[in-house]
Amino acid sequence: MQHYLTAFSTIFLPQNLLAICLGGLWGLMAGALPGISTSMGVVLLLPFTYAMSPITAFTILVSAYCGGITGGSITSILFGIPGEPSSVPTVIEGHSLAKQGRAAYALWVFLLCSIGGGLFSVFVMMVATPVIANFALRFGPPEYFALTILGLSVVSGLSGGSILKGVISALFGLFLAMVGTDGITGVERFTFGTSILLGGVSFVTAMVGLLAVSEIFIEAEEPFKEYKEASGYKGMRKEFPKLSEFKKNLTNLIRSPIIGTIVGALPGAGATIAAFLAYGEAARTSKNPEKFGKGAVDGLMAAECANNASTGGSMTILLSLGIPGSNTTAMLIAAFMIHGLQPGPLLLSQKPDIIYGIFVAMLMANLFLLGLTIIGIRAFLQLTRLPYSVFSAAILILCVIGAFGLNNNVDDLYIMFVFGLIGYFMRKQGFPIAPAVLGLVLGDLAELSLRRSLLLSLGNPLILVSRPVSLLLLCGAVFSIIYPLLKKPKALKGV
Amino acid sequence: MKRNRLIANGAVFVFFLFMLIHAFRLHEIRRFGEVGSGFWPLLILSSAAILSFILLIKEWKLKDGEKKERLKEKEEFPGKNRLKVFLSILCLLFYVIGMPFIGFILSTFIFILIFIFVLGERRKWRLVFSPLLVTGLIVLVFGRLITMPLPKGIGVFAAFSRLFY
Repeated sequence: MQHYLTAFSTIFLPQNLLAICLGGLWGLMAGALPGISTSMGVVLLLPFTYAMSPITAFTILVSAYCGGITGGSITSILFGIPGEPSSVPTVIEGHSLAKQGRAAYALWVFLLCSIGGGLFSVFVMMVATPVIANFALRFGPPEYFALTILGLSVVSGLSGGSILKGVISALFGLFLAMVGTDGITGVERFTFGTSILLGGVSFVTAMVGLLAVSEIFIEAEEPFKEYKEASGYKGMRKEFPKLSEFKKNLTNLIRSPIIGTIVGALPGAGATIAAFLAYGEAARTSKNPEKFGKGAVDGLMAAECANNASTGGSMTILLSLGIPGSNTTAMLIAAFMIHGLQPGPLLLSQKPDIIYGIFVAMLMANLFLLGLTIIGIRAFLQLTRLPYSVFSAAILILCVIGAFGLNNNVDDLYIMFVFGLIGYFMRKQGFPIAPAVLGLVLGDLAELSLRRSLLLSLGNPLILVSRPVSLLLLCGAVFSIIYPLLKKPKALKGV
Repeated sequence: MKRNRLIANGAVFVFFLFMLIHAFRLHEIRRFGEVGSGFWPLLILSSAAILSFILLIKEWKLKDGEKKERLKEKEEFPGKNRLKVFLSILCLLFYVIGMPFIGFILSTFIFILIFIFVLGERRKWRLVFSPLLVTGLIVLVFGRLITMPLPKGIGVFAAFSRLFY
């Protein structure tokens, strides 16, 4: 308790409060603007922290981290451009709501849920860091494989009308993840001699093409209209969600941050699997599964809670074990080293002021972000009032910048274009896109962990079911696959 | 309409089959006692080929009632203006191809101008000012503020781009 009181008094110093504001604002911008990811936002901030005291430096960096995760969803909802793979469920539901003229409402739901999820994970981080760290340490290749299978099992919830098409779409995503150089043997796979594909298919480029570019092509089929439907929102105040909507989703709102925090603590899994798992669970248990893919509020709530809750999980594993759970926390390791600190078990005993300071800084950053994001949302909402034709052109240019900004390479633009065409074909033929993205994101981890498991067991596949956590996750996956088939869901129309 | 669907699903099947054949070659690349590079591709692609074949057969066997229902669905789908889609795709293709040669500013300006015209915009003031405004704003934010190394083009186009970022 003493440590927390000291940490609060430190964070409330003017320079640290300013650091929270600036870091949060920068993170929001980095997350919201295509072409700059959260991790890049943190990297760009890093040189400015050299001259700062360690606690101010970490305050500004973790604020940018939290801001980036939050900001990414603004463009996902308004323009359908996912900045990170974890934003895909937000695009599916949030952007569908925006297209129905409920952009402000979707943004409120996202904001409240993401801040709520973030705060939950910080509280968990404060009280249960050692427990979560120990749990995460028990994850070996078989557990990771089982986790990816559990992640893939939500395909039925993302499949729309045809589960068969959903599974084919997911298999296509898994195939895309194989393209490039094999992580174990170094063999080139499905590159057909082109250097563009040697490094594999980038998540963000593929997602931008499949989701955003293809949608512009679909919209081009419609007759000319002056404004997009999304421009008809009623205003932020009038669209504030009712308390009863949150009450109805209480279980979802409790379950999703827990999934986010636990899965976020697993290195390499992080926010993406967390968001998809929470979204899949919400789809599976929803009373209105037919609304998924068409703007289901419970889906948006689940994805946003889990997405932001993963920040706390990721920080837990970084601070307690020194293992980065995501790209951004890997950048934070560099910040620790710059300030002469080594994240890991000893840090808590040697420098408790830093650790508790980070906990409190994350807590305060999430609270500050509530206000900052409202300002950001108001600014971005104005863009939806642009004439439809100009708006569509601007979206395509933002897509181009988003794909180009990853590696500053024009080759990524060709890949984005091809995926735009593939996405258009898939939409026209009724293949849902979300399972393909899920397959692409999880494919690499699934393959590597399966092959590593088989290497460990000298080729015996029983290793996958002989460890309790792995067995439990696989049982969960089987249940998740069978349950919707037994339940015979109503016709779901996915993206 | 059914023919189109059959062709599309047939194309999906052929795609997975082609990749599956390619994956068989990968299967031979492995060290003793190790799961090779082809194991996972074979597993995934054979499943995909089988499922896409099932989908093709299902589509083939679609009953008349279901067919009519599907056709009705199709009519409701806003697929009115195929030419606009084709031209939009061409616009984006030429934008992406042209950008490294003529630079971001010029290619973006021309792209917006043509793209909004293709979408149906006919007011002259909007056709002129929208590309100017959007290009200016994007260059200001991404080229100047964030200093993203946007493509400058070659030769005289590069000299022109350097005036702005």
